[in-house]
Amino acid sequence: MTEAKKEKFIVPIGPQHPALKEPGNFEFTVDGEIVTDATVRLGFVHRGIEKACETRNYTQDMYLLERVCGICSHVHATAFVLGVEKLAGVQAPPRAEAIRVLAAELERIHSHLLWFGVAAHEAGFDTLFMYTWRDREVVMDILETLSGSRVHYSVNILGGVKIDIDQKLSDLIKKDMDFLEERTEHYMKVVTTDETFLGRTRGIGTLSRDRAKLLGAVGPTARASGVKRDVRVNAPYSGYKEFPVKMVIDQTGDLEARFVVRLKELYESYRLIREILEKIQPGEISTRIKRKIPEGEVISRVEAPRGELFYFIKSNGTEMPDRVKVRTPSLCNWGTITDVAVGHKLADMPMLLAGIDPCFSCNDRMVEIRSDSQPSQMMNWDGLRKYGIEYYK
Amino acid sequence: MLKGLFTTLKIALEKPVTTQYPEQRRPVHTRFKGRHTLKRYENGLEKCIGCALCAAACPADAIFVEASENTDEERYSPGERYASTYEINMLRCIFCGFCEDSCPTEAIVLGDQYEMSFGDRHSSIYTKELLLEPVSGDAETTPQKTKPGEFTRSVPVMQDPQD
Repeated sequence: MTEAKKEKFIVPIGPQHPALKEPGNFEFTVDGEIVTDATVRLGFVHRGIEKACETRNYTQDMYLLERVCGICSHVHATAFVLGVEKLAGVQAPPRAEAIRVLAAELERIHSHLLWFGVAAHEAGFDTLFMYTWRDREVVMDILETLSGSRVHYSVNILGGVKIDIDQKLSDLIKKDMDFLEERTEHYMKVVTTDETFLGRTRGIGTLSRDRAKLLGAVGPTARASGVKRDVRVNAPYSGYKEFPVKMVIDQTGDLEARFVVRLKELYESYRLIREILEKIQPGEISTRIKRKIPEGEVISRVEAPRGELFYFIKSNGTEMPDRVKVRTPSLCNWGTITDVAVGHKLADMPMLLAGIDPCFSCNDRMVEIRSDSQPSQMMNWDGLRKYGIEYYK
Repeated sequence: MLKGLFTTLKIALEKPVTTQYPEQRRPVHTRFKGRHTLKRYENGLEKCIGCALCAAACPADAIFVEASENTDEERYSPGERYASTYEINMLRCIFCGFCEDSCPTEAIVLGDQYEMSFGDRHSSIYTKELLLEPVSGDAETTPQKTKPGEFTRSVPVMQDPQD
């Protein structure tokens, strides 16, 4: 009996993930039903976007970076554009900044509702999933009316925004916000009172404030654990200086808190959108920006729906950037998963994973594996090309 | 339990939110960015002058334009040049609408068509024949034979410069 206990039993999950629709590999070491260790392996969707940025000009990069993630595409473009504008010493007009915030908040609503649906699906509550996705369609529709696309809005241009809002559009958005607010109230009731749902969320995956701080959690995951971390409040950028937001904090730190924080953030978004539509000043929506960006380095931070998004842009004075580094919020939150997973049942894992709102396409970072047994697998472009031709022969 | 059944009944009487796609179509919004069209003037001449600004602006390098000289015997567009080759690779296109913004003659417009599927990669390249809209009314198709000195200006005078 004691012999058997020493044996480690590892349950591999993924890369074809049974619950989430994106590739990620997890290895859970289990003792019976209880998880004793967890590791995560990422990078299955590496597309080399950072490298590709170096061969395109700034305008092209904006569109490319918008495609890092299919859900939070606007924030990626905003982070990049803000950085480039800072380098060029250009300030977007106030109306453009307000429209940027408007699009960002609409995107947050869309992202949170999407996540809410996915999380409900993981909990086995498919009715809720259907309802949230139906309501998400409302905000998707607004985004289509606003920008012409449902997913990659392309609202930003260097030095401003591309689209403008008029009275008709603003009335439509306000009407839809009322509908969504009413629905969100219903979801809040479901999340905090429904017995079956609470069984999956209350007291599960509790992340204490100190652990969240230590593991560098960001976004709603951190805020659900009581960490005051929100770039919109801590370091207001773009239109958030003019339209401040209130930080939503919960001290509990369990899965339920993460639901509550995200739903409360929805209320905050509705309020902010209404405020912007009321107070937006008429004026220009873009300024001119030179094609060549002056030499320099810049750091740009924005609050994506999942947390803090970080961009580092290095310019060498030409039309193309020298280096673009993207650090996405999902990447920061993985540490919390491997930490809180220990001691939970294997059946809780999908919910825990869904709880941080993981985005796998955000995790396409290059990782160099240093192993004693294997030589380094770093390749240059020619070597990689040759390898590819050989491989597909 | 009655309350639950009441909810079921209430929802059952609601209109379905889904659309039966191939039969029912959801109308697209005015700002929707669908398949491109190359526009013509009312007299049948092509608006595109082959300046390739769209190709330069395209973030995805999806557009290829080759220009040729117009003559009064064979006139495709006003001004000196016209696009003899105009190709958009729909697999590369990201429908950002930058070509529309950059066009000086408002020749390329992103329309409302979104049903584009192809069996092979070759048919993903839309040629000028596919993109160019048909002539309206009784206008003559290009190339036209025109009087010399009639169409010397390639970019039309803008009615509303603020637009």
